[in-house]
Amino acid sequence: MNLAGIGVVFAGGRGVGAFEEALRQGWKPPRRREVAAASSQGTMPVYSVEEETLKDKAVLRKLRRADRFSKMAVLAACDAVKDSGIALEEGGTSLGIILASAFGPQVTAFRFLDEIVDYGDSNVSPTLFSHSVHNAAASYVASALGNRGPTLTVTQFGLSFHQALVLGRAWIQEGRCENVLVGSVEELGTVMEFICGQKLRIVEDGRIRPFECSPTPGAVPGEGSVFLLLCGEGGAKKYCGIRGVSFDAEPAEPFPDLCVLDADGMSEDETCYRQSADGDVAVAGYSPLFGSMMTGSAFHCAAAALMLMNQTRYGCPVQDNPHRMRLCTSTEPCDLEAIHCVKYSCTRGRVVIALGR
Amino acid sequence: MDVAITGIGAISAAGADLAGNLHTFEHGKPSAGGVSVFPTSLSYPVFEVSDIQMEARDPHNRTLGLALCAVDDALRDARLPSKLSRYRVGVCLGTTVASQLNELAFYGSYRRKEPVSMRAVDRYLKGDLAEGVARAIGARGPALTVVNACSSGADAIGVALSWLRNRVCDIAIAGGADELNPVPLCGFGALGILSDSVCAPFDRNRKGLNLGEGAGLLILESEVVSRERGEEPLLYLLGYGSSADAYHLTAPRPDGSGLEASLRWAMAEARIEPDDVCFINAHGTATSDNDRIEGAVFKRVFGKDVKFLSSKGFIGHTLGAAGGVEAAFAAAALREGWIPRSAGFVHEDEEILLCPVSEKTPLTGRFAISTSLAFGGNNAAIVISRGPRNGSGVEHRGGA
Repeated sequence: MNLAGIGVVFAGGRGVGAFEEALRQGWKPPRRREVAAASSQGTMPVYSVEEETLKDKAVLRKLRRADRFSKMAVLAACDAVKDSGIALEEGGTSLGIILASAFGPQVTAFRFLDEIVDYGDSNVSPTLFSHSVHNAAASYVASALGNRGPTLTVTQFGLSFHQALVLGRAWIQEGRCENVLVGSVEELGTVMEFICGQKLRIVEDGRIRPFECSPTPGAVPGEGSVFLLLCGEGGAKKYCGIRGVSFDAEPAEPFPDLCVLDADGMSEDETCYRQSADGDVAVAGYSPLFGSMMTGSAFHCAAAALMLMNQTRYGCPVQDNPHRMRLCTSTEPCDLEAIHCVKYSCTRGRVVIALGR
Repeated sequence: MDVAITGIGAISAAGADLAGNLHTFEHGKPSAGGVSVFPTSLSYPVFEVSDIQMEARDPHNRTLGLALCAVDDALRDARLPSKLSRYRVGVCLGTTVASQLNELAFYGSYRRKEPVSMRAVDRYLKGDLAEGVARAIGARGPALTVVNACSSGADAIGVALSWLRNRVCDIAIAGGADELNPVPLCGFGALGILSDSVCAPFDRNRKGLNLGEGAGLLILESEVVSRERGEEPLLYLLGYGSSADAYHLTAPRPDGSGLEASLRWAMAEARIEPDDVCFINAHGTATSDNDRIEGAVFKRVFGKDVKFLSSKGFIGHTLGAAGGVEAAFAAAALREGWIPRSAGFVHEDEEILLCPVSEKTPLTGRFAISTSLAFGGNNAAIVISRGPRNGSGVEHRGGA
């Protein structure tokens, strides 16, 4: 299937242009936020999305009650459609929507728990409840686009975005829809930041080191949304093709020009990424630009797509390289035919999204 | 590719397995009562599962325990071993509660800035429903949890259908599971759609829904795989339709066009006409809006004589499980040759002018539909058949 449009909301701003600019500019330090029981003196580095980024009266005019989680998703999804140039018919069904999230709208869900604790079982807000369900964001995306095709929200902590891509491809192949918006969204909040502080090794200098391949990797929690507008083989191919997603097996095309590693400190152990140092394939990783997220693979897919379209390799934002991998150290033109986005999962082994020019 | 249904599993307040549920539908009555699984000041009746086996399967994750009971039931029915490492098995399950860290004890400690036990977080992080089931049975194919609110179970079955048609896996376990939890109880209470008495789907005097809990799923296989292991499939999953209302977060589109689109899509995939459908297992929540809109769509698409029922009068609204549980009941009805009465229905509603079946009814025909509607305006419909798409000689002759 072909990738025809990209929408991105992340700590560096909104839009595929802002994302490309961040890839070109390299690492910027994350913000620091007060966190209860954080790993160091009550503050934690986070890649959070600025409220200003989410202000768009035109797109969000019908969604005034939407929470932050939904707004990030809606903006990224609408941007992906706009970026593709594909005109959607109001009320049409040609577009499918698949939203993947590891944690869903947990900030709103905890606000709803606040209501139960503070006001009792019978005095809670119905609006908060209806926004606390995972599929509220996808529903808002459908409303914002005026699209009435199949709309699905899926979750799985490590690989929900990968599974969403597999399903998107299946929907196109069986003719369920012409185009599919496949996306991810994650949101940070005080409780999630507390949990991250307890469960992850937060890197105090704010630098995620994707090539450390550490048994105790460091993380900087991130948030944001990416949507990819996908179409069939005959459809628009603005960026690249997505040739397949392989789970625990070698992809059909074993020698890409570049491997983008999903290492971001969210796994308990990232030593398996050391395997990527073997061989002659160049290696990159961009999680230091957007932060650690279970669905960070979506951002890496967007980065790989930009590289294929622009025939440019972006220099890795953090280049600590103890295992002497063949890193992309600077941004430069490059003949790129195939890129693999590689993730190692504790339960599923090596998972590869194969993208081609 | 034809996709066979070779196993059915279900657990609900009406029974600890599919056979128990069918027995209750035939001989029993609804057993709603007060909440006992968590403290609450709310007195709405609910349909709780009181099954020791379920609690033993996973004492810390009630939803996973429910799902594993239904998986055992379905694997037995499909004559598959409890470990499935020989096959590329996918697991796709819908839920609502299991996807959220809704633990009030954990959150209370966090809020009070007390020392917080991370056990609840660990349970949550290890408790993804589809992954949990896949781990328990040694499934090596894709695992995905669908969180599409109350259509999750039906949508999960639709995802599995796509997997099988696109050869993502050989066998799929698909459906839904959900437990009773304070969050939906308080939330639905706040929305004003819980009934203070036993629910009465499609009845003129219906006052809202009762929450329930349970799990229901289907074992789906490509027909080829099924025959290779010596099975002669009787039931098939022929179609799935899904559409978004793109209208409102909690209210269905008043004209029911989203549900109608899903129904027509599912029937087109199955290559059947409305007249071919012998019954519908309706979403039938017993809320004013849902039943009025669903009834109007049924009348518009299938005519006034369509046979339909809601299972919720016997088991309550099992949220993310509902589409799976009700698909399991629809498949079982085709196999058994009868549908149960739509419990709770007594008085025709002049706004609907369509009555669900009020007694055990023998089936004539081969095709059944199960519908699901959800928060967010999701609509889903699946078509199940007795016999393959173009098969003959398996039509019921009305014997029950």
